[in-house]
Amino acid sequence: MTFGSWLALVVAIVLSAEVVRWLRHRALRHERWRRFFRHPTAAWGCGILTFLIIVAIAAPLVAPLDPIVQPDPVRLKNHAPSLTFLMGTDVFSRDVWSRFAYGARVSLGIGALGALIAVSLGSCVGAVAGYYRRWVDAILMRGVDIGLALPRIFIVLMAVALWDRLSFAWLTLVIGLTSWFATSRLVRAEVLALRERDFVVAARALGVPSSRVIFGHVLPNAAAPIIVSAALSVGNVLLLEASLSFLGIGVAPPRPSWGNMIADGAVTIYTAPWTTLFAGLAISLVVMSLNAVADGLRDALDPRQDPA
Amino acid sequence: MTAWLLRRLAASVAIIFAVVTFVFILIHLAPGDPCIVGTGEGVPDPAVCRSLIRQFALDQPVLVQYWRYLVELAHGNLGYSFALHRPVWDALVDTMPFTLQLAGAALLIDFGLGLALGIYQAWRLNRLPDVVLGNVTLFVYSLPTFWLGLILLLLFGEKLRLFPVGGASDPVLCPLVDSFYCLADRIWHMVLPAVTLGLVGAAGTARFQRAAMLEVAQQDFVRTARAKGLPERRVVLHHQLRNALLSVITRFGLTLPFLLTGAVLVETIFAWPGMGRLTVDAILRRDYAIVTAAALIASSLVVAGSLIADLLLGFADPRIRVHEDAVVDIVTA
Amino acid sequence: MLSAMPRRYELLPVVLAVVALGGCERRQLCNAPDCGTLVDAAIGEPGTLLPASTEEITARDVEEQLFLKLADVGMSMNTIGDEDFQPLLAQKWEWDGPLTLVFHIDPRARWHDGQPVTAVDVAFTYDAYSDSTVASPYRAQLKRLASVTARDSLTAVFRFRERYPEMFYDAVYHMRVLPAHLLRSVPREQWKTAAFGRQPVGDGPYRFVSWQAGQAIELRSDTTFFLGRPGIRRLIWRFTPDLGVAVTQLVADQVDVREQLVTPTMIDRVRTAPQVKLYPFAGNTYTCLAFNLRANGDTSKANPIFGDRELRRALTMAVDRASLVKSTLGDIGKVPPGPMSSLLWIWDPEIRQLPYDTAQAARILNARGWRDHDGDGVRDRDGQPLAFRILVPSTSVLRRQYAQLLQEQYRVIGVHVEIDALDPGALQQRISSGRFDSAILSRSNDPSPSSGITQTWTRGGIGGSNYTRYSSPEFDRLVDRAIAAASRDQARQLWRAAMETINADAPAIFLYSLDNVAGIHRRVADVQIRPDSWAALLRTWRIPPDQQIDRDRVER
Repeated sequence: MTFGSWLALVVAIVLSAEVVRWLRHRALRHERWRRFFRHPTAAWGCGILTFLIIVAIAAPLVAPLDPIVQPDPVRLKNHAPSLTFLMGTDVFSRDVWSRFAYGARVSLGIGALGALIAVSLGSCVGAVAGYYRRWVDAILMRGVDIGLALPRIFIVLMAVALWDRLSFAWLTLVIGLTSWFATSRLVRAEVLALRERDFVVAARALGVPSSRVIFGHVLPNAAAPIIVSAALSVGNVLLLEASLSFLGIGVAPPRPSWGNMIADGAVTIYTAPWTTLFAGLAISLVVMSLNAVADGLRDALDPRQDPA
Repeated sequence: MTAWLLRRLAASVAIIFAVVTFVFILIHLAPGDPCIVGTGEGVPDPAVCRSLIRQFALDQPVLVQYWRYLVELAHGNLGYSFALHRPVWDALVDTMPFTLQLAGAALLIDFGLGLALGIYQAWRLNRLPDVVLGNVTLFVYSLPTFWLGLILLLLFGEKLRLFPVGGASDPVLCPLVDSFYCLADRIWHMVLPAVTLGLVGAAGTARFQRAAMLEVAQQDFVRTARAKGLPERRVVLHHQLRNALLSVITRFGLTLPFLLTGAVLVETIFAWPGMGRLTVDAILRRDYAIVTAAALIASSLVVAGSLIADLLLGFADPRIRVHEDAVVDIVTA
Repeated sequence: MLSAMPRRYELLPVVLAVVALGGCERRQLCNAPDCGTLVDAAIGEPGTLLPASTEEITARDVEEQLFLKLADVGMSMNTIGDEDFQPLLAQKWEWDGPLTLVFHIDPRARWHDGQPVTAVDVAFTYDAYSDSTVASPYRAQLKRLASVTARDSLTAVFRFRERYPEMFYDAVYHMRVLPAHLLRSVPREQWKTAAFGRQPVGDGPYRFVSWQAGQAIELRSDTTFFLGRPGIRRLIWRFTPDLGVAVTQLVADQVDVREQLVTPTMIDRVRTAPQVKLYPFAGNTYTCLAFNLRANGDTSKANPIFGDRELRRALTMAVDRASLVKSTLGDIGKVPPGPMSSLLWIWDPEIRQLPYDTAQAARILNARGWRDHDGDGVRDRDGQPLAFRILVPSTSVLRRQYAQLLQEQYRVIGVHVEIDALDPGALQQRISSGRFDSAILSRSNDPSPSSGITQTWTRGGIGGSNYTRYSSPEFDRLVDRAIAAASRDQARQLWRAAMETINADAPAIFLYSLDNVAGIHRRVADVQIRPDSWAALLRTWRIPPDQQIDRDRVER
C-alpha cells in the first residue's frame, strides 16, 4: 500500500459515512424516508454500498498496483495480509486488495447492468401482459412459466458452454435476459390492480394512446415493488455471476471479479485463505446490504404504513 | 376443483414439453460436429464416426431428430451418453437418490431450523434475541452458497477434521460393516453439504416466517384474542403460528426446486455423486443426451413444486395471504 | 425441557459407536496374513476399463491389476533386448529367426471366470489393438509388427517387419491380453461403450468387484493367482474431483495412497500428517504449451500465427520457464531439454535449447511486422492483433495456474492470450480434431523414448497424438536412425541431434517435467514403485499383521 492509496481508502470510508449521515439528515423531513432508516441495518447497508461503489469508481486511486500484473511469482506469492499487502497476495503474487477494488467494478457493474436489463424487460413484459390481458397476457405469462421452469443457472451454463467463453457484454446480457421472469409476474399483478383504478380508466376514456397510459400512468404507480425487486435483482445477478466464475465460465481471467477471485483462491484455500475470504465476504456484504435496503424501501414505499 | 386440477396438470405438461423443445433447439443451434461431440477420448475412425451418425440419426434434419427424440421419450428412452459409455437412464438412476437425499436433508434443516427461529423471533419481537437473530439471518441469507461450502469445508473438514471432506460414503467400511454403521456413515458424510445447502434457506425461511407471523398479528382475530386477555404465549403459538404456517406451506412447494439447483454447486464442492454434478459435468463436456434429460427432470420438479404450492394454497384459508413481494423474494432467491 | 437435550446428544456418538462395534463383532474379522485394504485417492473417474481403449491414468492403474501383459520391463527400465524383462503371462519365450518371436503362455493362467488364457486370446488382442475401428491409442506403437498368430493353444507367434533393438519391448509393453471369448461378440465400433468395460473380467492378480459411479472402484485379490497370492486383499480407487480434495483425504487418514502430490504446497501439507510417508520417484510426464501449426479448425491451411517458425521461436524465448517452474514447483520440477520427462535416459541438460530472451523475442516480433500500431498494448499486423487462446483441462490445478502465468508473460511483450478451461473430454475432442490455437498438454513417457516421441512429434503421429501437426523430415530421419541405432552411445548422439532440431523449430514450449512424490500410509510395507507405472508392482506390497488398522480387518 502506498501513501496515496491509504489516503484514498480513508477518504472513501469518511465519504461513505458522510453520505449516510447526509441521507439520514434529509430523511428526517419525510415520514416515508424516516421509515426507511427505522432499522439500523438499512443505514449500514447504505454505508457499505456507498463505500464499495466509491472503491469501484476510484479503483485506480485506492489500489496501489495493477490488478493483473504479477510482480514476482517466485518470491511474492501467497503473502499473508500485511501493511504492504492489505489483503495479502494470491498465488500469482498479485495484490489481492488491488484485485478486490478492480473486481468491485466488474462485479458491481455486472450486477447493476444485469439487474437493469432484467428489471426493465420484466417491467415492460409485466405491464403489457397486465394491461392488455386476454391472449397477450396468456402468451406472455406462459412464456414466463417456461422461463421459470428451467433453473436460471442451467440456462446460463448452457449458453456459456455451447458458445465457448462469452465476452463480458454477452455474459451480462445473457444473465440479464434470464433474470426478468419473476419481476414480470410481480409487475403484472400490480398492473392488473392499477388498470381498474380511476385515473387509468379516465386516461383510457380520454383516448390517450395505450403506450402513454402504460408508461405515463400505470408503471410510475407500480414503482414501489419495481424498485424493491430491482434492489434484490442486483444481489441475485451478482450471486449468479459469482457462481459462474466459480465454475470457471464467468468473467475471463486475468480480469478480476469477486467470483473468479474466489475460484482462483479456492485452490489455495488451505494455505492462503485470504483471497477467497475477502472476495466472499464482499459478495455477502453487498447482497446483505441490498437485502437490508430492500427491506427499508419496502417499509418506506408501503402505502399501508402511510399516515392516513 | 377437479377441472382446475386437470387444467393445471395439462398446463404443466405443456410447460415441460416447451422446456425440452427449447433445450433441444438450443443444443442443435450450437456449433460443433455431432460426430466428435461427446465421444470422449481419442479420435474416432471416419468409418466409426459414420456408423455412429447413422445409428443415432445425427445426419437427419433437426425436425426429424426432434421427432425421433420425442418418440423415444414417449417410450421412456432418454438416450445414450457417449461420454459416460452408458444409457442416460442408468446414469440418472445412479445419481438421483443422492441428490434427493441431500435435498431432503437440506429441506429438513431449511424448515426445521428456519421455522423455529422465525417463531422464536416473532415471540421475542423487537427484543434482543429477535434483533440479534434478525441481523444474523440477514447475513446468512446473503451468503453465496458455494463460498459458505468452501469455508465450512476449510473449518470443519480440514482444520477441525470433524467431518469428511467429500464423497457420499466411506467406500472401505460402509459396504462391509452392517447397515446401521453405513447409515451413520452416510449421515456423517451428508452433514456438511446438507448444512451448506440448508442454512441459507433456513435464514430465508426464518425471515419469511417472522414476517408472516407479524402479518397475521395485525389481523383482527389475533387482536381479538389478545383483547380477550389470553396469555401472550397462547396468542403467539395458537393463533399466530397456526395461521402463519399456512403461508409457509406455499414456500415449501417453491423451495424444493431451488434446493435442487443449489445442489449443482454444492455437489461440485463436496464431490457429492448427485445429479447436479452430473449435469454440470455433462454441460461442460457437451454430453447433450444427459443435458436434455437433466433439463427435463429439473423443469418437471419446478413445475411439480409450483403445482403442489398452488394446491396447498387452494386449501389454505383465503383470509390469509402473505403479501406478494414476500413470495417473490423466494422466487428470485 | 431444554436442559435434557444436550445430554441426549452427548450419548449419541457413544450409542452409534457401540452399535457399530457390535456390528463388527458379529462378523468374522480378517486374520489371514494378507489382510489389508489399500485406498487410493484417484483424480477423476475413468470412462471404461477396457485396456485397448483407455489412456486415462486411473483406468490404466486399475487395468494394471486386472489384465496381464505377456512380460513387463524390470526395475532397471531397460527396454533394449529382452534380458531385463520379467515374465508375466508368458512363462518363457524364444527367438525363431531374426524376425519371429515365440511366446509360451503359462498353462496355469486363468481368466477370472475360470477359462484358461490361450494363445488365441493373444492373437485376438493384437487384432483388436491394431484395428483402426477400435482406434486404440497404442496402435502406432505396433506398426512394426507384421502379425500375431496362435501356433497352438499355449504358443503365440509374433512376426516383425524389421529388426531393431526394442522389438521385444514393442511386443510386450503396449498390449494387455484380453479375453477373446468375452469380447469377440462385441462389434468393434461399439468397443468403447461395451458393457465389458464397466464390468471387466481379467486374468491379473486382482478381480473386479464393483464400480460405484461417481464414488469408487473396488478390486479384490485373486487368492489363486498363478504368480503368487497378492500381498493386500482389497484395493479401492476412490474418485475425488481434484488434487486438493485428494490430498486432504490423505492427510485426514481417509485414504492410503496418493501417487502424485504434484506441488510443493501439497507435499508440505502431507508432511504434517504423521501416518503418511513420502516416496519420491522419477517422474514420467512432461508438460508443454503445444502450438497448432495448422489453422484452427482447418488442417489443410497453415496457422496464421504458429505456422511461422520465427514467431514460434519468439514466443518460446518470451517465456521464463525456469522462474515459472520455481514459482509453481520449487525443487520438484525441472525445465525439460525437449519433449521428455526425467525418466528417459536421453535426458541431458546439455541439449541446446532456445534461451529466455525477451529482447530478442521483441526484436523478432518487430522484424516480422508485429508491432503495436494502434497503441492498445497488443501487437498487430495488417489490422490483426497478435492474439491466441490457450486450452487447459479444468481438472488440472497446476496447468490452470500455468496458463495464467503464461498469459501474463505474453501480455508483457504485447501478445494477447485468452484462457479456456475445458473438461478433459471436451479438450481432447478439440485438440484431436485440430480446433484449437494452443493447449497445455501433459504427456507421459513409456520407459523408452522411441514410442512416445514418435507418436507425438513425428509425421507418422499426425492423426494420432501429434496434435501440433509438427512435421519435420530432418527430425523424423534422426528419430528413425536413433531407434535403429545399434549402441546406446550412438543412439544418445542421434537423440540429442533430434531434440536440438525440435527445440529450434519450437512446435511447443516444453514447460516442466515433474519429479513425483507419492504419499503412502506408513503401515504399508514392501512398497515398490516402478517409475513408468507406480501401480505395476502393487501385488508385492503388503500390510504387516501387527500394523493393521480397522479398515484392513473388515470382512465382506
